[in-house]
Amino acid sequence: MQPSNRDQRDKAQRFGVFAGAVVAGFGLVAIGLVRLQVADHERYLQLSKENHVRPEILRAPRGTIFDRNGQVLADSAPSFSIVFRPFPAESVGRDPSPDPEWVARVSRLIEQDPAEVRRLVQSANTSGQTAVLKRNVPFPIWSAVEESKDELPGVDVQREPLRHYAYGNLAAHLLGYAGEINEIEVDSLSSQGYRAGDLIGRTGVERKFEDILRGQDGAEYVVVNAAGKRVATFKEGERREPVSGHDLVITLDLKVQKALEQAMAGVERGAAVAMDPRDGGILGLVSRPVYDPNEFSMGLSWDRWRELSNGGTNPLLNRAIQGVYPPGSTFKVVTMLAALRAGIASPSTRLQPCSGRYNFGGRWFGCWKHAGHGSLNFVEALEHSCDVYFYQIGLRLELPRLEETARALGLGDRTGIDLPQEKKGLIPSPAWYDKRWGAGRWRKGLLLNLAIGQGEILVTPLQLAMLVSEAAMDGQPLRPHVVKQVRGAPEYHWQRPGRARLAASPTTWSALHEAMEGVVSGGTATLARVPGLRIAGKTGTAQNPHGKDHALFACYAPAENPQIALAFVIENSGHGGSIAAPMAAQVLSTLFLPDSLRPAAARPPAVADTAAGARGD
Amino acid sequence: MTRFRLRLPPFDVPLAIAALGLVVIGLFTVFSATSIPGAHQGLWVRQLWWAAAAVGAAWLVAAVPYRVYDSLAYPTYGISLALLVLVLVMGSSAYGAKRWLDLGPLKFQPSELAKIATVLVLARRFDDPKLKLDKFRHWFPALVIVLVPFALVLKEPDLGTSLSFPIILLAMFFWAGMPVGHLLLGLTPVFNVVLFFATGSLWWFAGLLAVLLGAVRPRLAMVVAALVLNGAVAYAMPHVWNGLADYQKRRIQTFLDPGNDPYGAGYQIIQSRIAIGSGGAVGKGFLKGTQKALAFLPMRHTDFIYSVVGEEFGLLGTLTVVLLYAWLLMRGLRLALLSRGFASLMAIGLVTALFYHIMVNMLMTIGWAPVTGLPLPLISYGGTALIVNGIEIGLLQNVALRRKD
Repeated sequence: MQPSNRDQRDKAQRFGVFAGAVVAGFGLVAIGLVRLQVADHERYLQLSKENHVRPEILRAPRGTIFDRNGQVLADSAPSFSIVFRPFPAESVGRDPSPDPEWVARVSRLIEQDPAEVRRLVQSANTSGQTAVLKRNVPFPIWSAVEESKDELPGVDVQREPLRHYAYGNLAAHLLGYAGEINEIEVDSLSSQGYRAGDLIGRTGVERKFEDILRGQDGAEYVVVNAAGKRVATFKEGERREPVSGHDLVITLDLKVQKALEQAMAGVERGAAVAMDPRDGGILGLVSRPVYDPNEFSMGLSWDRWRELSNGGTNPLLNRAIQGVYPPGSTFKVVTMLAALRAGIASPSTRLQPCSGRYNFGGRWFGCWKHAGHGSLNFVEALEHSCDVYFYQIGLRLELPRLEETARALGLGDRTGIDLPQEKKGLIPSPAWYDKRWGAGRWRKGLLLNLAIGQGEILVTPLQLAMLVSEAAMDGQPLRPHVVKQVRGAPEYHWQRPGRARLAASPTTWSALHEAMEGVVSGGTATLARVPGLRIAGKTGTAQNPHGKDHALFACYAPAENPQIALAFVIENSGHGGSIAAPMAAQVLSTLFLPDSLRPAAARPPAVADTAAGARGD
Repeated sequence: MTRFRLRLPPFDVPLAIAALGLVVIGLFTVFSATSIPGAHQGLWVRQLWWAAAAVGAAWLVAAVPYRVYDSLAYPTYGISLALLVLVLVMGSSAYGAKRWLDLGPLKFQPSELAKIATVLVLARRFDDPKLKLDKFRHWFPALVIVLVPFALVLKEPDLGTSLSFPIILLAMFFWAGMPVGHLLLGLTPVFNVVLFFATGSLWWFAGLLAVLLGAVRPRLAMVVAALVLNGAVAYAMPHVWNGLADYQKRRIQTFLDPGNDPYGAGYQIIQSRIAIGSGGAVGKGFLKGTQKALAFLPMRHTDFIYSVVGEEFGLLGTLTVVLLYAWLLMRGLRLALLSRGFASLMAIGLVTALFYHIMVNMLMTIGWAPVTGLPLPLISYGGTALIVNGIEIGLLQNVALRRKD
């Protein structure tokens, strides 16, 4: 079949369209080429001959972190860094190690270790990216560098924002710190726009909210001569202004935090948490030992970094959320709640009187008060933290019911606080023991220990604060959180708690509140008393195979209208009633008493815990 | 006495000369770009072997009658789709995208094969005297055939290569006789997105669509398809955008606006422009380029090879390349005009694929198109691309040899 003439004509027309497209396309390319190679040739030749164009990064400041009252906790301050800008044209394929004389001059000038300078320059020459030789140098150094730049090819002074923590180590563990990104991270994060020399949040809020705090760097293209000296800005590459990160308002209250820091001043190892029991907002958080996050902003030496991260005490560890401790007698709050909910005892129930020890299965279990408490009802038993009473409760309660109440209070699981690397703690279940010891191969005797918060149970100080907060609020579930508001992102809201309200009768709650108030007014925590303030709490002393006991105290105040909950864990220090309870008193008196009524001097933590009528645990 | 006369088969000599000329220019430029010390030093030796392999492949492909390819179109297409899936599952990545299959010493890019297979399948489908491309059952299967590899390649992600599929379809629709109005309707999703981003409102596009539908008066199926497709696009646009992670948005923004990424694409373009511009009318001379030495132009022997041509051979060199390409494509178009049925359609598809790649790469190197990572056909360093280009030339020669059949 021969194609018709009409078909042929159509085809010829289509051919014309295609041919036209080819001519037009290549014509367009030709126009572009003529413009580049003829019209603008001189300019480009100039650029290629003696000058090079390179982008210079305009670093964006991180967002500011404010406390709940608008006090600045972390911001960005302008600073000057000494940088080395590699020169690709000259360095490609050459030996990347710098001239020793150059290294000697530079390291002397900026007071930096020559080996470090050599290392940084080498890696910059290999990667082609600018390296920071020294951060945040004082005026005399950067002005000296500015003067002798021409003789030291590659060296430059760069203005960049420096992360500044206004109160040094205050709330260091909560705020976290931002440090320079390392080479491995540059590779893995480059798709998200990170480059060598960038700061990245490492811990705390700085890490968790990295995406929000981090700004977007700007850039401008500059023309530099063969010595690396800036000759002009390059017009073709548009200057892009840096965009700073979003600001955060956190729930922290500077006043509370300061009071906590003061109370914890003499503590070697331990943690304290202050929480708003009404919504779970963190008012203060202290962990000891502590570090100054400003050190990281300035660039840390390897030795110092090792000291901080691997030292025996590990100051970088946030003990408030990463330290797990046996709760000791503070856990009796949970045991009491479980027993009242289960109906196995009432507030007025009297059990076998305390003689100082209790026999179970042919073994003696002691009460912390060797003389014995005598006959007590449930409320009095909590006030005086009678172990023998709680042994008997534990036996009646049995593990599943105790576990259920503990878990309903959020123990044994992450609270979900918006801080990284939170620990879960541990609430053992029958299944857990089956797995550990074999099914049926564990005995009821361990219930005695669990009922008084010893044994396998572990909690974080944050969980302890959450526990008393929920007790104060009649079981209202809480999601501890730090970030209150993201400026510029009004829709941000911390996550709602994932648990249901703990069901218990009003009489259960009032008995628990009465008992906890009794602990402070006439029980084991009388050292926590503050005149005119009703405080409810519970002490704890956690036995510890490695040295002295950990002292614990958790409380909330005012008892009639809870506004703050506190939890203290002081490692290897002694009894909760004598060590931790006075710290709470110190914080609460600072916060609630007018200046005139406050004790003249803050009480230092007692050293001799058995002295001065120290209460037991 | 018998006189011996050398009788060459009637292949298209100008087409062969243009292609070989471009390969030779490519070899010299790759030699120059990889002669400086660095990671890619000496790669030109391999390119030499690839070029020989490509010529061999062209010869081989030309020797087998194209009717064989016609009958093998669907199996080839199936295999290439399987390979595209495979590359997504276990491909090796470079520059953040999974595009390659690692076959020992060889790295294979299945999207290249998929392109040829798609051309073959479309040519086979459209080679039908009763074809009516305004009928749903004729145009819709073709659309699906193209969208599958398009989506798979887009997922790698390789936006540049993936766009070649719809463009091939468009060209072959047109060549196969689809009315222009219908083609415009097929393009409406593109207008939709562009108009939305340009004006910030969907009303402009709605008006355009209404006018178009009124003017073309297509069959009901096409009206429905156009409305559904554009409705879906309009609905999905903001959702897709908001659902992206920040770094994904940043990548897209960099794609649309390379100046956004000062150390990456934007910088490459500036370096490329400086290299080309500084070459002037006759260039700095072979091996005498200075800009190519910049480490910031890491793809100088692949994607940015044309800037090395521009720097060392000047306008003379760049325009020579342009003319050789134009000559090659015109010869290809001529073959499409002179042949019929499958052969003609295949030729148009291949010419379109080549033209698209050439344009995207050249416009990128002069800074008029975003950085996409498409090599320059026949010139850039790279085994798969060169051999696939060889196959494409071989298929065109195949048409030349048998167009009288």
